[in-house]
Amino acid sequence: MNTGDALLKQAEALLYREADCLDRADLPAWMELYSEDGTYWMPAAPEQEDPLNHISHFYDDRVMMEIRRRNFVHPRAASKDHTVRCSHLIGNIRITAEDAVAGSCTVHSNFHAMLYYREEKRLYGGRYEHVLKQGASGLLIQRKRVDLIDCDAAHKSLIIYL
Amino acid sequence: MLITTESGISHLVEPCRLHRRVYTDPAIFELEMERIWGRAWIFIGHESQVPRPGDYFTTNINHRIPVVMVRDRDGLVRVLHNRCAHKGAKLVDKRSGNVRAFRCCYHGWTFGTDGKLLKIPNEKGYDGTGMDPKDPQWNLRPVAQHASYRGFVFATLDEKAPDLVTWLGGAAACFDNLCDRAPEGEVEVAGGVLRYDHACNWKMFLENLNDTHHPQTTHQSVVDAALDYISTLPPDAAKQREEAEIIPPFGGSYENFEKSGITGFAYGHHYDGGKTSIHSGYSVNPVYRDAMVNAYGEERTQEILSFNTHNTCYYPSLTIKTAIQNIRVVRPIAVDRCVVETWSFRLKGAPPGMLQRTLLYSRLINSVGSMVGPDDLEAYMRMQQGLQSPASEWVEMYREFGRDTDMGDRIVGTGTSDLDMRTQYRAWRHYMLGEVA
Repeated sequence: MNTGDALLKQAEALLYREADCLDRADLPAWMELYSEDGTYWMPAAPEQEDPLNHISHFYDDRVMMEIRRRNFVHPRAASKDHTVRCSHLIGNIRITAEDAVAGSCTVHSNFHAMLYYREEKRLYGGRYEHVLKQGASGLLIQRKRVDLIDCDAAHKSLIIYL
Repeated sequence: MLITTESGISHLVEPCRLHRRVYTDPAIFELEMERIWGRAWIFIGHESQVPRPGDYFTTNINHRIPVVMVRDRDGLVRVLHNRCAHKGAKLVDKRSGNVRAFRCCYHGWTFGTDGKLLKIPNEKGYDGTGMDPKDPQWNLRPVAQHASYRGFVFATLDEKAPDLVTWLGGAAACFDNLCDRAPEGEVEVAGGVLRYDHACNWKMFLENLNDTHHPQTTHQSVVDAALDYISTLPPDAAKQREEAEIIPPFGGSYENFEKSGITGFAYGHHYDGGKTSIHSGYSVNPVYRDAMVNAYGEERTQEILSFNTHNTCYYPSLTIKTAIQNIRVVRPIAVDRCVVETWSFRLKGAPPGMLQRTLLYSRLINSVGSMVGPDDLEAYMRMQQGLQSPASEWVEMYREFGRDTDMGDRIVGTGTSDLDMRTQYRAWRHYMLGEVA
């Protein structure tokens, strides 16, 4: 196996592990897959250029992840009274940029996420962009961008990361 | 009792009680669309969305009447019905864009940006039929009235509605404050829009804005989560602490809200805050403050920045946050569904960090992925479900009743008064029954 294939394998494994954490709504385990400077971004417009000068659905850094994971299990967060169940399918995973020296890469993939919440089944879909970098014990997520195909539509409450 | 007769409607709203049907009865909803949304001034958009001739922006006056705001060739902003004068097709279906003229996709009737009919293909078929293409009835119809206040464009379907300035009354001061917070005295729409699908009656959203008794309960979890996280931070983690400290004011205490006060006006408009609000603790960007002092002088800057309202409601379609520079635009869809949009504004002449702060706030509080808005919506959805129960026919709004002060053009109460509710339902009775606003 050449190094490109090895990197793709590692990236795929990380994406699958992340999807599994979200399927189980295990946010503390999910956070461990992110670097200290890691961010999670869900734009609110197609081709949105940046998360600061345009509104987004999510743009969490470690601070907001820390607050969100605590809020998620708080007994008085009424919107979390309803169980969230999720099932992610990720495909078309490909490395689109690579820095062999630093061991970092950008990975694009497509996803479908089936979500069950408040007695309703919903389907979300779109494209992921993951920027991965080498941590002490393997790859970590430095940036994740989630482009929903209907990012500019009216959405219902989305109380977990996709 | 037939609920949609005048006497039936008049029994639904008492000075301090509401019948549950105002939230749940589809027939009442239809009447509200006709009598409230068909008579009040409805927020359409902002002039900055159509800066050049031919620029347009589409929306609905209520859930089903499409209109287009357009800047015509002479630079005048108009609000026209988005309906071809021929067979009735919607003329433009994009949210915004620029046109030389509006051309219908069906038979090619073409209208100028002032609404005037310019061309009917194969027009000779109408010769001698009695149909006169020059007759203004074949132009795009303007709404009954449209007007703007400091760039905020409103329209009404009621030709007898009072003029916009009269209708805004003392609540216009909040538009003034929002614009005066710009060193150049003007704001512009910037940074995109959030659209949030609410499975609740449209009034529940409005009634929550200045409901100062819910934050301590509804937003307790996110405040606890933020405080718990802050308690883990080492002393040198100033950046993390600063970011996390945006959250706790959303669980503002009853005492804080008491002090902020609520002010109600005719036609259902109201705001909470004034001298102080949950936003007054936020620090002022020093570069922004310098720009303000350069533009206005120290005393006037102080005056502008110390008028600190939380939410101002222009009943029934718009709410604004002057201190944050975002607005929410309400559109009812059905008795149990509405869409709430969040728009942000750039203060002209302010440093770029100010828009970023507005967007940060909109995202943290108003987005579908926020940790604040979804808990509010959860409460509205549960009311929508719970009010199906005949356990009681009534919802109360007695708090501080009889203790509000009538100042002539406005009524002022303590910050935890149900004055905001009573103000809205006085307007509801005005529109629905023709009573004094």
